[in-house]
Amino acid sequence: MKKLAVLVLAGLVFVSAALFFPTSLAAHHVNECYKDHLDCRVNALNLDAPWYKVMLILTVCDIALGKCALSL
Amino acid sequence: MAVLGVSLAVSTAARAVERPGVGKWKAVEVVLPVNDADEACLGRPIALALDADHLYIVDAQDCAVKIFSKDGEFHRAVGRKGRGPGELSFPSGVSVIGGRLYVADKFNARVQAFDRAGEPCGGFSTPFAPDKVLALTGETLLVTSSPTGRTAAEKMLHLYDFGGRLLWEGLEARTSSDPVFDAFVNMILVCPGEGGDFFVVFRSGERSILHFTASGALAGKILVDERHAFQPLDMPFRGPKKRLLGFCWAAAWDRGFFYISAPAPVEGKDLGPGRLLSVVDREGRLTASIELPCPVHRFVVEGRRIYAVDDDGGLRIFEVVR
Repeated sequence: MKKLAVLVLAGLVFVSAALFFPTSLAAHHVNECYKDHLDCRVNALNLDAPWYKVMLILTVCDIALGKCALSL
Repeated sequence: MAVLGVSLAVSTAARAVERPGVGKWKAVEVVLPVNDADEACLGRPIALALDADHLYIVDAQDCAVKIFSKDGEFHRAVGRKGRGPGELSFPSGVSVIGGRLYVADKFNARVQAFDRAGEPCGGFSTPFAPDKVLALTGETLLVTSSPTGRTAAEKMLHLYDFGGRLLWEGLEARTSSDPVFDAFVNMILVCPGEGGDFFVVFRSGERSILHFTASGALAGKILVDERHAFQPLDMPFRGPKKRLLGFCWAAAWDRGFFYISAPAPVEGKDLGPGRLLSVVDREGRLTASIELPCPVHRFVVEGRRIYAVDDDGGLRIFEVVR
């Protein structure tokens, strides 16, 4: 019984470690995407360009965020 | 539909120009001295401020604050691109008090202070990218931010002491399912009032101006005369047609009056900076309009003088004739 518990715990630790690292990397990647998205928006809003153009640029920022987050 | 939008915008603009019962003031351009220095050129001027002797213009491209005399003569530039002390990355706002210059250093997420000689003399970090900065009294500094849309109930106004201690936050960002629409309805301008009070002007969606005291308490809401007309703009792409109502391209406050420039139709169905300024009293009544010789992006007003930045990023000074 003890052996089984030890094996189960060891298995859990192994699975957790295997799952954690890719998730952590993905989270880091998504954070970078959000940072780029924020910079993109700040640049667009500070262009002082006509508003329709700014709307188009903001929309492009949003599309770029989606593409970046999905790694497309 | 686009044709309808344009004709609506044009008719609204025409209504705004007519303005029955409103005084028409003229603006005469002041001839500026020739500034030969390369540093005097403005790459991307996005904010202006005045003190007793000087005009300060934030140049986001050159990462510097350019200092001019009130007659337009270039004196010097403060700051350079970088991340260290005295260096700036996308400066976006400036305020002057007690001989010190406070600059919103946007991409470095901090407010930096400079002394009269242009040397860095302190500042503090902010947990957001600061947009505009306004020294309200000798003790407090108002810093604005644009909402990121990533967290709920983001505040757009932040009051700090000069040591960087947060004293107050307020004015929650409006949110909907459309981040582009939200970005526009949350675009605000701040104007310094008297005794440390300040005003918040929404660039679109609202015809009202919020009046705050120096401590951040909301003192009142000023509903601007409807003769200062909205300029409608249909938004691209997003689901069902959404219309944005442009109210103000830039605004300033001087001696009891707001100076508000309405966006004007440009390039077909777009809205850009206009050349018509509405002069509105503190009750929101339109008292006069000023037609400038050219569209202006940003401006500050002092007495009869308007210091402005034109389409090409050039400094223009106008004398108002009543």
